[in-house]
Amino acid sequence: MLLERSARVHGHLCPGQVVGVRMAMLGCKQIGLNDPRNSLEEIKKLIVYVEIDRCATDAIAYVTGVKLGRRSLKFLDNGIMAATFINLETDKAVRIASTEASRDLAAQYAPDILDKHQQQLEGYKQMPIDEMFVIQSVEVEIPIHDMPGPTRFKAVCEQCQAVVRDKKEVFQNGRILCRTCALGGYYRVLK
Amino acid sequence: MKNISPKIKIEDAVGLTLAHDITEVRPGEYKGPSFRKGHKVLDTDLCHLMRLGKRHLYQLDPDPNQIHEDEAVSELAAALAGPGVTFGHTPREGKLQLKAAYDGLFKVKCQPLIDFNMIPDVMCASIHNNTPVKRGASLAGTRAVPLLIERDILDRAKHLASRYHPIFSVKLFNPLKCKLIITGNEIYDGLIEDRFETVVRKKLSAYGLSLSESVILPDDETRIADQILTYLEKGAELIITTGGMSVDPDDVTRYSILRAGADQLFYSAAVLPGAMFLLAYKGNVPIVGIPACGLFHPTTIFDLILPRLLAGEKPDNRDLAELAPGGLCLDCPTCHFPNCSFGKS
Repeated sequence: MLLERSARVHGHLCPGQVVGVRMAMLGCKQIGLNDPRNSLEEIKKLIVYVEIDRCATDAIAYVTGVKLGRRSLKFLDNGIMAATFINLETDKAVRIASTEASRDLAAQYAPDILDKHQQQLEGYKQMPIDEMFVIQSVEVEIPIHDMPGPTRFKAVCEQCQAVVRDKKEVFQNGRILCRTCALGGYYRVLK
Repeated sequence: MKNISPKIKIEDAVGLTLAHDITEVRPGEYKGPSFRKGHKVLDTDLCHLMRLGKRHLYQLDPDPNQIHEDEAVSELAAALAGPGVTFGHTPREGKLQLKAAYDGLFKVKCQPLIDFNMIPDVMCASIHNNTPVKRGASLAGTRAVPLLIERDILDRAKHLASRYHPIFSVKLFNPLKCKLIITGNEIYDGLIEDRFETVVRKKLSAYGLSLSESVILPDDETRIADQILTYLEKGAELIITTGGMSVDPDDVTRYSILRAGADQLFYSAAVLPGAMFLLAYKGNVPIVGIPACGLFHPTTIFDLILPRLLAGEKPDNRDLAELAPGGLCLDCPTCHFPNCSFGKS
């Protein structure tokens, strides 16, 4: 079963896995794809933007087969349990967000379970789509530098000489720089 | 420009693969592709295509030196787009829009762009040079004009773009540490209330900046000069002065800036409102003087120069003079800047 296999890859079965699996299945269906994970033809048509890095994200990646390294999975650090599924062939795209109400509604669909975690896990399996998710038809213009395929653009940071791929460089005070040199890094080099 | 592809009568076109997007225009309602390139014409499409005025469709059979418009426009866009400029992955109706990859100051090399447009069968139109833009903003649109373009023409256009690279770029805004000196005896003595600080704060906040310090001083040449030096010692990266820019004996701010040791000082600009604007530098630190017009007019020369300073540029007297065409604000009852001619030379 898809959920069990996804949970195995993720490391545990949890409510987030149920949300992610159902969200991914719904997203693919909405944009006209059946099983991109197992179809080379379909996976090449699919891009998914996820807006959170939690359990559901792994489930979405597992079910759809999209991967960060293949550039078919995009991570936006918005902290929102939502993902957008895009069919590159038809431009059809849907954004699906998990409803906050579904957290409390889970009790109605698993009334015999007292443990909150288990209750959500089972409740999310039973809950109707329209109570669990908000679905929006959307348009996403994916910039050329974010598309899968070979590297199209390269620049060299004039400060640290790092090669910056895919138009991630910035133009600051007349110099082409990597983001770390221009804006500061997330790390501090130790002596 | 040659018309070389065989035409197929619309009634014989069922099963034909469309060679390009077909645009539909419904005035006031829709303009866009009704049929996309690659679509296989169905029996049921014929009436729709005829309503769009199509009596023939192309059956493309390009020779090896001809490039399809979609492929060509991707090459043109890649050649034109410098740092901070990107574009979509799929041309629509043969066009690609270039967009800002991040917030900043849009730069266009105007003469090379004109030269690019002198090459037949290619075009590119952009927004104005020196426009502050947000991430995702449209900057330019380009296309190959014919459905099939000759390889040597395309290469000429790409070569020109490469020679003047980057024709389009977006300069990142620097988060400058900004400090304000409000001058005027009438404000210092409490006869009237200062309103400049609010104006300056609002204009800076549009770029995500705030004032790190603000002071009110009388029209005293020495005190203003000393305050500038104090600000510089404290690490100011942009010093803004207000008032004291006019011709009265009490208007001493520009002398104060000289006294503080400005290396370069440009007084007056070809802009209304803003004729008595002052722009000076001590080292790399800009010192600007906003005349009293900044209190009355919602948009002045300060709005034109501020983004350039934040983008790390050092405009000089030539830059101030080049603002002349388009430098006249029409003082509209409702200000629509930047969506107007002001500052667009």
